[in-house]
Amino acid sequence: MAGRPSIPTISSALIAIIADEDTVTGFLLAGVGNVDLRKKTNYLIVDNKTTVKQIEDAFKEFTTREDIAIVLISQYVANMIRFLVDSYNRPVPAILEIPSKDHPYDPAHDSVLSRVKYLFSAESVASDRR
Amino acid sequence: MAAATEEHPGSTGFVPRAAEEVEEVHEANEEERLGRDDDGDEILRFMDSVDGHLLLMDSLSPALRRGWIDLAGARHWIGTSRVSSTLFDHKEQSAATKVQVVDSADLQSSEPNPHFVLSKWHLQEKSNSNDAVSAQDNTKPKLRFRGSTTFPEDGSHEADVAPAESWTGVDTRSHVQRARSKALSVFGALVSPKLRTSQISFETALELIVELANSRSNMLASFFQIKDG
Repeated sequence: MAGRPSIPTISSALIAIIADEDTVTGFLLAGVGNVDLRKKTNYLIVDNKTTVKQIEDAFKEFTTREDIAIVLISQYVANMIRFLVDSYNRPVPAILEIPSKDHPYDPAHDSVLSRVKYLFSAESVASDRR
Repeated sequence: MAAATEEHPGSTGFVPRAAEEVEEVHEANEEERLGRDDDGDEILRFMDSVDGHLLLMDSLSPALRRGWIDLAGARHWIGTSRVSSTLFDHKEQSAATKVQVVDSADLQSSEPNPHFVLSKWHLQEKSNSNDAVSAQDNTKPKLRFRGSTTFPEDGSHEADVAPAESWTGVDTRSHVQRARSKALSVFGALVSPKLRTSQISFETALELIVELANSRSNMLASFFQIKDG
């Protein structure tokens, strides 16, 4: 279709993780851990000493790297940088909010679901009819 | 004929115009009907992708929970210090499990719609061409049927296994075993069986996560199509 922006094919991209230690450990066991020449990793372990600035910097870094296709972020961590997560609107890398051990997943807070849920609201239907 | 036209110029000129107008109205109605059908299809696709997304998320939580419980079990067996992020190797290493991104084949969508394919334990690098073809074939979103499986029936789960076709089953299994052992070796030569089961749980969670990424992509593409339409 004319004018449709295309997605460049990436044959081998990474999965980045911003989550608590157990979640990061588990996914590293599954083989997603990557350390490059400059000792930069594709994960950030969030604990009680991690600052919001560090989380923001990691999120910005992972969403601008061209070798990352998916960014996994625990939903409770995403809530700390909700403004940044909600303002992200690129197709790649895909941002997925996942549950953590102590914080179950809440679809009401998910940035993608809250963006599309307005299609289900009575107010949006009523305003379209007007 | 010419005499007839002269005698009744109004009537012979009126009839063709009326037929044209009726035809134009009919064409306009047909276009409107087709447009409504397209909108209906898009809305159906959107609702289906939202439903699929929520189902997948419901499946992800138990997979992650199993992994966390097994990790806690491993800590209990071999000690907290033996299962800790401080053991992670910060030497240069390439991820064994990666993702391939292709543009969706759904050309009806005016929005970018990436499709993700998981490649576990370097299997993708061993059979690149086969998987690229199967990934393109499986990118068009199809409606699901709620049934015994929680995976969308778009074939992408099968695409994860497809890279192994060019290898024998024994080669693939031994390669995967070696890759899994290498990942576990961070925690020592002899690891708790709980750590192995935790690894499998997180691998399952990864497969679900890639499916979630695809359903998210389809959901957003449908959403923008409806919003702009």
